[in-house]
Amino acid sequence: MDAAFFVQLLLNGLVLGVIYALIAMGLSLIFGVLEIINFAHGEFYMLGAMAAYFAVERVHLGYWATIVAVTIGALCVGWVLYEALLARLAGSGFERSILVTLGLSMVLQNGAVFLFTTTPKMLQTADTYSNVTIGGARIALLRVLALGIGVVAYAGLHLMLHRTQVGRAMRGVAQNRDAALMVGIDPRAVSRLAVVVGIGLSGLAGAALAPVYAVHPLMGFAFVFKAFAIIIIGGLGNVSGAAVAALALGVLESVMGGFLPQVVVDALSFGAMILVLLVRPQGLFGRGVRV
Amino acid sequence: MSRSTGLATASALLLVALFAVPLVTRNEYLLALGVSFATFAVLSSGLNLVYGYSGLLSFAQVGFFGLGAYTAALLMTELQWSALPAVVAGGALAAVAGLVIGYSSLRLSRHAFAIVTLSFALLCGIVARDWVSLTRGSMGIPGLPVPTVGAWRIARPADFYWLLLGYSVLANTIIYALVTSRIGRAMRAIKLNEALAQSQGLDPLAHRLLAVTLSASLTGMAGGWFVFYLTIVDPSVFDFYYTETMLIMVILGGPGHFWGVLVSCAVLTVVPDLLRFTTDLRMVLYGAVLIVAMLVLPGGIGGWLDRRRVERWRRIAYGSPR
Repeated sequence: MDAAFFVQLLLNGLVLGVIYALIAMGLSLIFGVLEIINFAHGEFYMLGAMAAYFAVERVHLGYWATIVAVTIGALCVGWVLYEALLARLAGSGFERSILVTLGLSMVLQNGAVFLFTTTPKMLQTADTYSNVTIGGARIALLRVLALGIGVVAYAGLHLMLHRTQVGRAMRGVAQNRDAALMVGIDPRAVSRLAVVVGIGLSGLAGAALAPVYAVHPLMGFAFVFKAFAIIIIGGLGNVSGAAVAALALGVLESVMGGFLPQVVVDALSFGAMILVLLVRPQGLFGRGVRV
Repeated sequence: MSRSTGLATASALLLVALFAVPLVTRNEYLLALGVSFATFAVLSSGLNLVYGYSGLLSFAQVGFFGLGAYTAALLMTELQWSALPAVVAGGALAAVAGLVIGYSSLRLSRHAFAIVTLSFALLCGIVARDWVSLTRGSMGIPGLPVPTVGAWRIARPADFYWLLLGYSVLANTIIYALVTSRIGRAMRAIKLNEALAQSQGLDPLAHRLLAVTLSASLTGMAGGWFVFYLTIVDPSVFDFYYTETMLIMVILGGPGHFWGVLVSCAVLTVVPDLLRFTTDLRMVLYGAVLIVAMLVLPGGIGGWLDRRRVERWRRIAYGSPR
């Protein structure tokens, strides 16, 4: 087999895995802390990409300025989302929270279809056709940048969860809400922060990938389907597990896509999820303690 | 006349009236609305059985619907099966899928069930689009043969109306018989308090699997009949539109409320069609309704009526002054 072809598939897979990871980590974080499965999560990825498209095309912001602006916007949206909707759902049952976020997803997705139509938009930047050569494989510069942004975001989240006081508080709430309350952690503040960070990561993923993939209102849907499988495989609420599962899935999908029919690749995440549920229901990396 | 015989008489009269519609009018628009109502009545009652009575939020219903549709269509076009066995095979395959999904996810939690059912529904749509050699991809399979059941050739709109209404009545009768039986009460008990129900010797997994599997097979067969009416099957039978519509019907009608869901199904079939929204705007509206309903009226109209009835009983029992 051609080594360059393999490296090419591997690199594309890593980029794909990083997007999966950015979306799945936020989803997993929100589930771990709030016990809410955010069905609208993919829509925030879509909105991030849409916002990046309009920031570049209409406002003529540069690449980095767009990413920073969209991420800050997404953080604010996360804050509003928590205060306006999710805070009212605290402790009111799992199905209810799913249905509310599903309703939100319907409003956002179909609203975007109505406003922007389903025609895919291509975002052209100065670097669209720039390439870098790695190990004989040529890869688009924007993909490498997206990969780098994803790695930095993961490192940042990991440091926050494990090295800072708020991060420890977040893990504390995820492990035992009542005990966390007893030692003086405010679950509301921690939940708000988890939602803000989770939505922020989605928005960041959208902005970083807008120039790589076509932007259209249904793009979030396809990714969130993979993200759900990933958080089950990684163990519900386990952020690092989700990141590892996401990377593995991205690489596997990309490499398999080079040799096997598309339908097998599509079924991979679902098959892996069912297998994990049957063999190891707590997830590959679940140890009984979450986050 | 007691309350229950009154209800039985009323529903029997309503059924006769519904079946008599094509004798009175041949208006195709009216019959199309009727077919749509009959189909959604199976879908939403099937979801009600799983969500309302067993407390499991299932997104897989649309997957079962499309699976039944594709199976029936492929068996008839590729293997020249006749309609009835093809549709039953579609229902059977959907039931097997339901059993696998239910068994693998319910051992973990209700959370996992919701996620797995969603992934299943989305996967079905993707497979239908990408497995071109079997399903012919996005092109779909057009020009399905005219189904015949015995000597009855189902070709005119009125025939399809009778067929789907007849099937819908059958499916809803089965669901009604189940949810009003001892097993239905056990399902409700498990939904209300799993640990307590278990301590009384009820097996939660078996009851839940029964609900999921039965609902899957009825929904799958509805899909099989419905595509013959459409005369084409393509990946849009897996569209999330069906999921969202049946969820709204169940939520507004009141989960666990058999008649409430049927009424909301009738209202939501007729009213949006008369208002002629575009589908996008209709889904935006449904989403907003879903959010508001869950925040303000989580039990739906049926739950609200139940609450009022309980309050009335309390007033009678304790004689509280208004």
